[in-house]
Amino acid sequence: MIAWLAALLAAVSPLSPPPAPVDAPAPVSVPAYQIESVRVRYTQFAQNGIGYQSAAGPPGGPGSERVTIDQPQAEVVAHLGDRLTQRIWIPVDVVTAASPDHSRYGKPIDSPVDAVSTPSRINVAGSLDTLSTYRWSATTDVDFRAALHLEEPFESWSFGLGVTRSLAEDNTVVGASVNQVVDWFDHFDLEGTRHSRASRSTTNLNLSLTQLLSPTTVAAISYGGTVQLGTLTNTWNSVLLADGDRGEERMPRHRQRHALAGRVAQWLPWQGALKLYYRAYLDDWGIGAHTAEADLAQRVVSWLHLRATYRYHRQRATRYFTTSADPGATGFRTADSDLDAFHAQTVGGAVSLDLPTPKNRYVTRYVKDLHAEIGYEYYFRSNHLTVDITTCALGFGF
Amino acid sequence: MKRLAVMFLLAATLSATAGCVVVPQNRRKRLADPMMRFDADALEAHKKQKFYSTREGAAGGDGTPAGGGCGCQ
Repeated sequence: MIAWLAALLAAVSPLSPPPAPVDAPAPVSVPAYQIESVRVRYTQFAQNGIGYQSAAGPPGGPGSERVTIDQPQAEVVAHLGDRLTQRIWIPVDVVTAASPDHSRYGKPIDSPVDAVSTPSRINVAGSLDTLSTYRWSATTDVDFRAALHLEEPFESWSFGLGVTRSLAEDNTVVGASVNQVVDWFDHFDLEGTRHSRASRSTTNLNLSLTQLLSPTTVAAISYGGTVQLGTLTNTWNSVLLADGDRGEERMPRHRQRHALAGRVAQWLPWQGALKLYYRAYLDDWGIGAHTAEADLAQRVVSWLHLRATYRYHRQRATRYFTTSADPGATGFRTADSDLDAFHAQTVGGAVSLDLPTPKNRYVTRYVKDLHAEIGYEYYFRSNHLTVDITTCALGFGF
Repeated sequence: MKRLAVMFLLAATLSATAGCVVVPQNRRKRLADPMMRFDADALEAHKKQKFYSTREGAAGGDGTPAGGGCGCQ
């Protein structure tokens, strides 16, 4: 029994298999199972602001959108034989006051935030996400993705299938993928009462092309089309009415979305890299957007990198957006500030260390590299929302 | 929609033109540097995707299913 346990532990241990002695002949076969890397990352989002969909404010005005999200993530990448790479990834979100409600009227502004439903006070969401990449041939990879997302009032399953093919001696890579997501969640009304279940479906197609342009330049373009069907609202979002009361959000049960993106990465002669990104977006709810991003990375010494990022996003509102809806109207309406017209900017930076492993054979036997990172970003937008994003990461390569 | 189609055609034409460029394997040292990867860290990419898809109604749709703003992701 102990021998079986020892054999099992040896098989799943990231520390196996031990390296062959220097003077041993080269191995003729790839290990059946080998962990390539283990990474963990922790991020905290501290959001402040106001929005008309939130009723946690004075009558007739926007309410608080204050929320804190703690997001730990872990990822393991392993090789199974010489053709299959398996990525297992577990993100968790801990959200405080996910859906503040309007029972705060008349209360002191610093009193505890009420929530539409009990899970909204502290909402823990977790996912299990797997990506299997199979090397079909020297130029073709096929990948399959499956994920399960769980939180107290919400469940989601997603599946994806993708193919990438290298052409012209890897100068060009073309890719295509399809994804299907199905969500089920509790239908809560504005009073926090549960009304059975609601569901929605999301189907997504992506096409991409990556091209080497020179020995120091690579570019890529991609198109993503998405069709959503079902309950596409947050049922507990409220809309401010012209008479000062609040009504429920109502949105179409169908949405088509198109995104076209282009990227360029340019090597800089002083051991740096500049990446530029542009994205155009359109959907049939009337939202159009342009997003531009620049990312500048600089290697200071072989094990120390600095990174600076800037992002600008501008979008126009959905045609259903209102901050003063007609109480008698039966049409679509939303007061969600995320669907309003605004421009948003993100500025940030990060320091990362790729530490050399100590010159000790008991350490280098097991850990090939060690990566550590700490970063900060500040997101601010024109319709009264700011988010402080703090992140740190640690990774081991085996 | 028409503007998006024009931009896609323009990007496709530029890409087709670029297809004439061939960079030999022995001149790709810079391109192989980790700093040149578009998405170097999957966890960092998820952090960004999740944040923007829940804060901006126009986020998502490129590479992953679009979410966006209203929580309908």
